[in-house]
Amino acid sequence: MAELCLGIAGLRTAVVTPDPDLAGIVRGRFTGFVSSGPADWRLEISRPPGRLPSAGDVVVRPDGSPTRFSVQRRDFAGTVDVGARRADVTLTPDDVSLESFVRILYSLALVEVHGLVVHAASLIRDGGAYLFCGPSGSGKTTVARLSPDATLLSDELSIVRTTGGPAVCFGTPFRGELALAGADRAARLVGIYFLRHGDRHEVLALRPRQALARLLPNVLFFAREPDIAAAVFRVAAGLVDAVPCFDLSFRPDPGFWEVIRNA
Amino acid sequence: MPETYLTQSPRVAWRVYDGEAVVLSPDDSTLNTLNSVGTLIWEAADGRTPVSAIVARICEEFAVDAERAGRDTLAFIATLRGRGLVTVSETIPQAR
Repeated sequence: MAELCLGIAGLRTAVVTPDPDLAGIVRGRFTGFVSSGPADWRLEISRPPGRLPSAGDVVVRPDGSPTRFSVQRRDFAGTVDVGARRADVTLTPDDVSLESFVRILYSLALVEVHGLVVHAASLIRDGGAYLFCGPSGSGKTTVARLSPDATLLSDELSIVRTTGGPAVCFGTPFRGELALAGADRAARLVGIYFLRHGDRHEVLALRPRQALARLLPNVLFFAREPDIAAAVFRVAAGLVDAVPCFDLSFRPDPGFWEVIRNA
Repeated sequence: MPETYLTQSPRVAWRVYDGEAVVLSPDDSTLNTLNSVGTLIWEAADGRTPVSAIVARICEEFAVDAERAGRDTLAFIATLRGRGLVTVSETIPQAR
């Protein structure tokens, strides 16, 4: 039985598998995020005994208790028990399936520690973290590509936590178009920018109410249970209260950093 | 007309920014942004304040006549109720 500990956004997960191939996939996909110390969560991974139940998109449903969820997609089937901080999954042995399940696991696990997984690129520059939110095609990877002097936390899915003190943005191993894992670093979040392509660089301050309406659709979250949705809402509401938020119109050149600095 | 009382659903998450509430619907996770009158009604939906008192406050704070305030308030309450955000009762609900 192989066991290693992943540390993502300060949340450690002991990953246990009897399958050497799966253990190798875990090590390969999460290089740079292997941690030590006591685990907060336990994830057991195995191969499916037969055919997986067919489900195209991700389906997350309550599974017998308010804190336990079944999580299914065509290539994996598992459970996440937020109360017990345990998860298990049978999955097709490839890194895409593995990463997808871990994304969902962390989206559920982080809520109780005031964290969110957000569709956003994030970068550390001059000691502060900047979050660039938007759906696919909004420019997350472009912003990351245009910032070679910044530390990449993610070009696809970023994690923000607001547990006591200032909001902090964490690097993640979740890969976007750059096909690069972020750095296992964290920094105080100094600004949230909602991306849109334009013919010039422009930053407009958003009021918290506007920012909340822009942020929530970008939060990675699959469970629709009212209690958990309310918890996500509260974390997001606290975040837009604590961090300045902006609409960022940009064209594909690094000049957007200048308008951010001058905003 | 019997008195009625509004109570916010305990499963609803909400926040007030600059005097305007943002309320998350528990059933479909849609966001409801309320204007200042709607926010007054929402914040008064405590299960103890009669709707007639809410209408009186609206008349006072927003300088509208009682007939219009009553009509608009009832329509707004129907909307909130339809979205699962409040319950309406003719007695003060017992604390749970």
